[in-house]
Amino acid sequence: MVIYFENNIISDWTGYEKLINLVNDASKIKDDKILFDFAGVHFFEANLCAVLGTIIEILENENKQITFTNFNTVVETILRKNEFLLDYGFQRITDNYNTAVKYRKFIPTDDDGFNNYIKAELLSKKDFPLHSEKLGKKIMQNIFELYENARTHGKCNYIHTCGQYFPKSPEKQFNITIVDRGINIKENVNNFLKKDLTSCDAIAWAMKKGNTTKSENIPGGLGLDIIFEFIKLNNGKIQIVSSDGFWEFKRGIVETKLLQNPFQGTIANLRFNLNDKSYYSLAGEQNEQQENWNFTF
Amino acid sequence: MKNIIIQEIIKGDIAVSTSDGDLIYNLINDYLLNHKTLTVDFEGISIMTTAFLNAAIGQLYSNPTYSDDFLNKYLHLKNVEKEDRILFSEVVKRAKEYFRDKDRFEDSANSVINGD
Repeated sequence: MVIYFENNIISDWTGYEKLINLVNDASKIKDDKILFDFAGVHFFEANLCAVLGTIIEILENENKQITFTNFNTVVETILRKNEFLLDYGFQRITDNYNTAVKYRKFIPTDDDGFNNYIKAELLSKKDFPLHSEKLGKKIMQNIFELYENARTHGKCNYIHTCGQYFPKSPEKQFNITIVDRGINIKENVNNFLKKDLTSCDAIAWAMKKGNTTKSENIPGGLGLDIIFEFIKLNNGKIQIVSSDGFWEFKRGIVETKLLQNPFQGTIANLRFNLNDKSYYSLAGEQNEQQENWNFTF
Repeated sequence: MKNIIIQEIIKGDIAVSTSDGDLIYNLINDYLLNHKTLTVDFEGISIMTTAFLNAAIGQLYSNPTYSDDFLNKYLHLKNVEKEDRILFSEVVKRAKEYFRDKDRFEDSANSVINGD
């Protein structure tokens, strides 16, 4: 059975909607073998391989076998450079310009695997960090906060991640997407609050400083806020898709929208601007800048 | 005085995971339970997250006998990079709120929906 990808797919509401609808369409097919035909796709934002990889994981759990065909040369090249297609019979293409960010999936206990991946993928980019080590450090901190959030909340089998770097864009954008197919934010928040929030309201609740669904001895409720505050300063973008909720923050505006079908997990997409000359320092006490800093509880 | 070097315990310069934070918490807790003074040394740690610090430091507030005065007396931190210091204040402030009143989180759902 063939599923046709009819349009370009980018990281926006429409792109997520198309990809998530695929799960629904493919699940209804009785045939175990499904061919994804990419003939209609002339541009596929490579960070979305993390979403596509998760969708394939969902379908493989339903005993479907996925193969690909009819790639446009540009799309195929990037998906071979980032190694997404290697599991599907395609050969690797060397990324001479070093703009691809590899697709990987990690089991949640593999801390070292993800740490090494981020170090290797970011530090190998020639413009990273472009202006200051502090900017580079903040970007890495944000990615690790996001990963840890997925790892501890999703209770999933795998965390899929992929990115893309656009060195020719004025902002020198770096996108990274982290996806888990564990318990989604709507379930987590509603189970915790014993309420019936919509997906969008549940995501908005989770993004608010101090809010956490954790109830044990390790506090939470800071990681997403750290990311949110940094993205504001960096003029970047955050998108969260969980269940049937789409939540996006960019240029000071939050937009939410429902999706036609729920996604069995959570997609988090961050866009950083590496061409950022701002000096970053979270507002702190003067004491924190002193050489003889002495922390008082 | 005991000196715990984070980099040696977590075997790397990236202190980001809850599990590594938990490892540090258990070490700190062993000393504090016996009222022994210790220093936690962050020398060489390049990246740190609140996820790590919530587990390593914030979790200490789960023990009501660990007051601020008690922690100031027995637990000392050193070699924390300037830009990471704010994380400690945030994590400690958050931990105090978290353990003071877990019930307050239920009300915050209403504030999102009602927009107040």
